[in-house]
Amino acid sequence: MELNAHEYKRATILGVVGRVDSATWSELDSALQGIIDQGQKHIILDLAGVEFLSSSGLRVLVTTMKELRKVGGEMVLAAASDRASDSINIAGLDVLFRSFPSREEAIASF
Amino acid sequence: MSLRQIRVPGRLDQIEVLCVAVDDCAREAGFDDRTRYACQLAVGEACENIVKHGYGPMRRGEILLVARASPGEIQLELRDSAPPFNPSSLPPDQPWTEDNPPVGGLGLQIMHRVMDEVSYRRRLGQNRLQMRKRLVRKPRRT
Repeated sequence: MELNAHEYKRATILGVVGRVDSATWSELDSALQGIIDQGQKHIILDLAGVEFLSSSGLRVLVTTMKELRKVGGEMVLAAASDRASDSINIAGLDVLFRSFPSREEAIASF
Repeated sequence: MSLRQIRVPGRLDQIEVLCVAVDDCAREAGFDDRTRYACQLAVGEACENIVKHGYGPMRRGEILLVARASPGEIQLELRDSAPPFNPSSLPPDQPWTEDNPPVGGLGLQIMHRVMDEVSYRRRLGQNRLQMRKRLVRKPRRT
């Protein structure tokens, strides 16, 4: 799994490429926690390069969202691949996250 | 009908190997990309349960995948030697709200939602989880 973070004024974008599963979820969790620890309340998770998203990865998304909401923040999804979208939809979590077709539209939402 | 048998150490980093084998099997059965991915998800979740909750940090063991493909259908069986665990019962849908979203039980839910049949038996000291997926055929126009 590869992670690439880009900071913007309104939000930090974290791009995810590869498999997010029981073997890799902790890397994603650490990266998101690092962004939150820096004081960022708005995160855009770019899922365009996600090839596999298991329940371990979904749990990271849910716990991050919960944590951000406690401080008045939010994590939104951008450019999710079909596979990432399928995992989120099958788990019934699509109602939890605002999702945008592109990074630009996600940034504009904040 | 084709048959594949793949044995891997019961470790999280080995689950991908079994997912790839299931993808190949589902491709042979004629499944589209979306359905093949659903099958991979189910096997990934089942294997994660075996490694994390069956073997846990203190035990070592293997996982054997027996995958059968025929036109429009796959049958998958996962065998492990962990203590008995039956994941074939559909977990109850836990009511949740956007303020209190779920963090547990997602794996079993996913497994049951994407497969047509999930069954379990304990045999010769092994857990044997069987899953079946059939291709949904569009009705013919007359």
